[in-house]
Amino acid sequence: MKIALISTFIPFIYGGARNIVEWLQAMLEKEGHQVERIYLPQIDAPDLLFQQMTAFRWIDLSSADRVICFRPQAHLIQHPHKILWFIHHIRSFYDLWDNDLYRGCPDDEKHRGLRAALHDADTAALREAKRIFTNSRVVSDRLKHFNGVDSEVLYPPVFDSERFYTRQYNDEIVCICRLEHHKRQHLLVDAMEFTKTPVRLRLCGSSSSSHYPDELERRIAELGVCDRVTLDYRWITEEEKADYFADCLATAYLPEDEDSYGYPSIEASHSAKAIITTTDSGGVLELVQDGVNGFVTEPSAERLAEVMDKLYVDRELAKQMGRNALERLDEINISWSHVLRRLLA
Amino acid sequence: MKLLIFTPAVKTSAIGRMTCLVSHALIAQGHQVVVVRAESDALLSRPSHDFGTRMIPWNDEMQVSDAAAQCDIAVYQVGDNYQYHEGCVTWLARLPGVVCLHDFFIGHMFHAWAQKNMDAANSILKHWYGDDVVKRFFKYPDNPAFIEGTKDEAPLTEWIASQALGVITHSRWGTPRLTRSCAGPVRVVPLAYDAPEESLVTPDYQPNKFGRMKLLTIGHINRNKRVANVIRAIAASPLLKQNVVYRLVGSIDPETALELSALANGSRVNLVISGAVDDTELAHAVGEADVMSCLRWPSLEAASASAIEAMLYGKATVVTDTGFYSEIPDDCVEKISHEDEINEVRATLERLYSSPGARAALGERARQWASSTHSAENYARQLVDASIASQKSRPRVNAKAYFVRVMKQWGASDELLRAEETVASLAVMN
Amino acid sequence: MKVLIVNNMAPFVWGGAEELAVNLQKNLIIAGHDSEVLRIPFQWEPASRISSQMLMVRALELWNVDKVIALKFPAFYIRHPDKTLWLLHQYRQAYDLYDAGQTNLPPGQEGDDIRTLITNADNEAFAESKRIFTNSEVTRRRLKKYNGFDATVLLPPINDPELFTGGQFGDYIFAGGRINGMKRQHLLLEALARTSSNVRLIIAGPPDSPADGDQLREAVERLGLGDRVKLDLRFLPRETYAEYLTNAAAVAYLPFDEDSLGYVAMEAATTGKALITTSDSGGILGLVKQGETGWVAEPAAASLANAMNAAFADAALTRSYGRSARDLWSSFEITWPKTVESLLQ
Repeated sequence: MKIALISTFIPFIYGGARNIVEWLQAMLEKEGHQVERIYLPQIDAPDLLFQQMTAFRWIDLSSADRVICFRPQAHLIQHPHKILWFIHHIRSFYDLWDNDLYRGCPDDEKHRGLRAALHDADTAALREAKRIFTNSRVVSDRLKHFNGVDSEVLYPPVFDSERFYTRQYNDEIVCICRLEHHKRQHLLVDAMEFTKTPVRLRLCGSSSSSHYPDELERRIAELGVCDRVTLDYRWITEEEKADYFADCLATAYLPEDEDSYGYPSIEASHSAKAIITTTDSGGVLELVQDGVNGFVTEPSAERLAEVMDKLYVDRELAKQMGRNALERLDEINISWSHVLRRLLA
Repeated sequence: MKLLIFTPAVKTSAIGRMTCLVSHALIAQGHQVVVVRAESDALLSRPSHDFGTRMIPWNDEMQVSDAAAQCDIAVYQVGDNYQYHEGCVTWLARLPGVVCLHDFFIGHMFHAWAQKNMDAANSILKHWYGDDVVKRFFKYPDNPAFIEGTKDEAPLTEWIASQALGVITHSRWGTPRLTRSCAGPVRVVPLAYDAPEESLVTPDYQPNKFGRMKLLTIGHINRNKRVANVIRAIAASPLLKQNVVYRLVGSIDPETALELSALANGSRVNLVISGAVDDTELAHAVGEADVMSCLRWPSLEAASASAIEAMLYGKATVVTDTGFYSEIPDDCVEKISHEDEINEVRATLERLYSSPGARAALGERARQWASSTHSAENYARQLVDASIASQKSRPRVNAKAYFVRVMKQWGASDELLRAEETVASLAVMN
Repeated sequence: MKVLIVNNMAPFVWGGAEELAVNLQKNLIIAGHDSEVLRIPFQWEPASRISSQMLMVRALELWNVDKVIALKFPAFYIRHPDKTLWLLHQYRQAYDLYDAGQTNLPPGQEGDDIRTLITNADNEAFAESKRIFTNSEVTRRRLKKYNGFDATVLLPPINDPELFTGGQFGDYIFAGGRINGMKRQHLLLEALARTSSNVRLIIAGPPDSPADGDQLREAVERLGLGDRVKLDLRFLPRETYAEYLTNAAAVAYLPFDEDSLGYVAMEAATTGKALITTSDSGGILGLVKQGETGWVAEPAAASLANAMNAAFADAALTRSYGRSARDLWSSFEITWPKTVESLLQ
């Protein structure tokens, strides 16, 4: 089949939203399909939205048998066989409207009108799709709530999961993802004040600026836990990541209210390691079940310390949870074969 | 809500008067209003209505731009008179907003505007009505011919509607053109008017003194008010000739006055031509009338202020069964079909003469209906609603305007602009 | 610098321009910059669509880009304060092809309107560009003639010069590149039928359509050339192609009126092979000088046959032509590092 994958992008910003498109492309091509990948630039400035959306309506992809649309407003594209793998709305006009920090425009008549117009346009474009998939229950709920459309959750797998393996269960809780405030590595650092066992913590990843990593470093020093915490502020290679996951006791991934479960939690699961997360982390909770393949605690230093200690003390528990984590992937169909089956149905 | 209302303000403007009522109602409902006075230069210094809020002239670029930046919505009161509405037309092109359209036929205003904007005018005529209309439009020998030749084929309703974020109008009959050309919502709202004060009824007025019935027509006395035919209708009835006094109050050409007087004298109809009078005198005239004749042919306006006023006064009113008037409930006015005008007017006046009780009852029903329907409070509320709904069309209107600008910069022909595949429902914007 | 290369896309079609864009990206990165290629879907059929496509590109919003290098109509309509054009193609159907009666623009007023639109919009895009380069002299001339803008010719380098070296002086003439009517490989077969029996020919490359391949096979059959011609009609792996080219006696490339030099010609010159072409081939005439670097025949079988005979008549002369072709090519200094430098001026 000739399949066009279409998404919006910001030039020179790589990562998450592009991975899902490019990994899917690779998997489709492996199956023998002809794939064309289209990235269109877009800026979410309120006054420019509708002219960009109109521009998207004029794009002709009729030479494709079907098109799959990802990041907004790619779903505005017209095609007789349009499929959406919807990852999020322009959230400032949807669930973040009531948040002054994120709205990005004043809450006045003019912008409420824009919001209403955007909702109408999105809903109409969504209705044109033959099928709508999302990357999480959270996003599906939002689609139903704001646009009245039904969708099927299709969890995004990680690429080449065979590179993840299990070697041992050492003393470290590992967290590998960008060092950013909303990823909340500081909660893990704070927890080290309350741990009673020799359990260690390793935080690795790059950052958009040195501000947050510096803060983490200060905190580690303040708490006097330098001997038990490793802070690796740099870009981690895929090999290093696989190795850290292979050896660790368990992993932690506790962002603040993220839509989707995040690749780190999948990578951890492929390495058969438990995942520590918190009640307010959002999409991760669709993957992690408290006491089964990890822990879901209150976002407090004390509670986090408790579960870290628990895992240190009971290696069998850590191993069992790790095995459950691997099984959980199958349970909720996180695999490329499932993805292809659903997208090409 | 913060509304910036563009309107004629001069005291002689009925639209200005209406806007004044609405402005006060909006303020009473907790909204903020700034008024932009829209008359042409020559009239800007004439005494104005009191809108109860700040008023700025439309040609003060900076003040208007500032006010525009701060408002939630711009509102334009548009009627078929360029001298009164020049500011509205000028700013509407730059600042999309809600249009309150008082006349579906705005050919006269367009004609005057076109004098300084001939290229754009021809473009607009061509876009909406085609080459034939472009050829004829500016070549009619006189006003009646102009009206006759354009009222059905090229009323220019679309010219204004296509620039609006939404339209409020005052009756249903002209709305198809609006819905076809306006990117935003079109809404019919009863024209706002106020009930007259009790004291304006002449204290020594005695109905049917000497058994005579006072028939009244007010406003600028022109051919479309059907005065000549009313005279003929009275003349055709010995009963009416004997017992009816027909008074005309309002400005009138000397030629017309002569013509009508001659006609009346010739058939011994009791005609009184009062000419133009001030507000108080006008109110008295209405107050003491038994029957109001509000006949119109052709009917070009969205709603008739004088008919509504007559009803608010509780007067038995005679109207032509067309346009806005058809939409008034049948039991509130006497409707005449234009085809058999003289006959039906005669028969109706005879009927009204014979029963003062029926006259009074008709007038009372009219008064109740008019005062509950045509209130400024209702208009203000609907204006706010329509504004909110119109905000939704702004992004699309702006996006289309962007593409039209780019196309024009690239020298696009009208045909290209019209083409389905590109900018299908784009309006030719000024 | 963050350099965004902007090109058109015909979905599922990959050709020379796409290769060029990707190689430009590669070499910008080698030069230390960050680079991406934005490919914008463009549909020009039917012609009534064209204005919407132009508007579509014009409405796109770029952020996080330091410099744009745009390659074709309508990609070069994209707005950016630092935009350089490396013009591979204007919309010829509005210009020289329109004059030649080969256009998809409708006759009469409608076509004229579109032409006017394109000309005005093109001129605006040219005026707002910092610098304009074209990929051939022909393109430069056309730009000057139809739009009145000056440009500098910047010939695209070949992408993998390391492959085009060495080899023998073989017993065949090599004709590479895409197989279709405009490339006129069939003319070589007509000519071969008139040459002496020692002249052999290899035609290798992907046919645009099965019919194009059939035409050649049928001609070989009809003319009884089976023992002197090898047809290798498919997309060749790079090494195979280089193998054929570097071991030829001479290289033939005779398209009808092409804008650019043609990669086959440049690769031949890089290797140091004499060139055979025809007088109406267009851009390649910048490299093929009769009696110096090869032969320029009339576009007829008889004339071509003479040239092909001549290539084998005096091997030493042919070799010297090859050396001269290489020298001439070198003197153009068309390398990727120099190209990147020019584009970023």
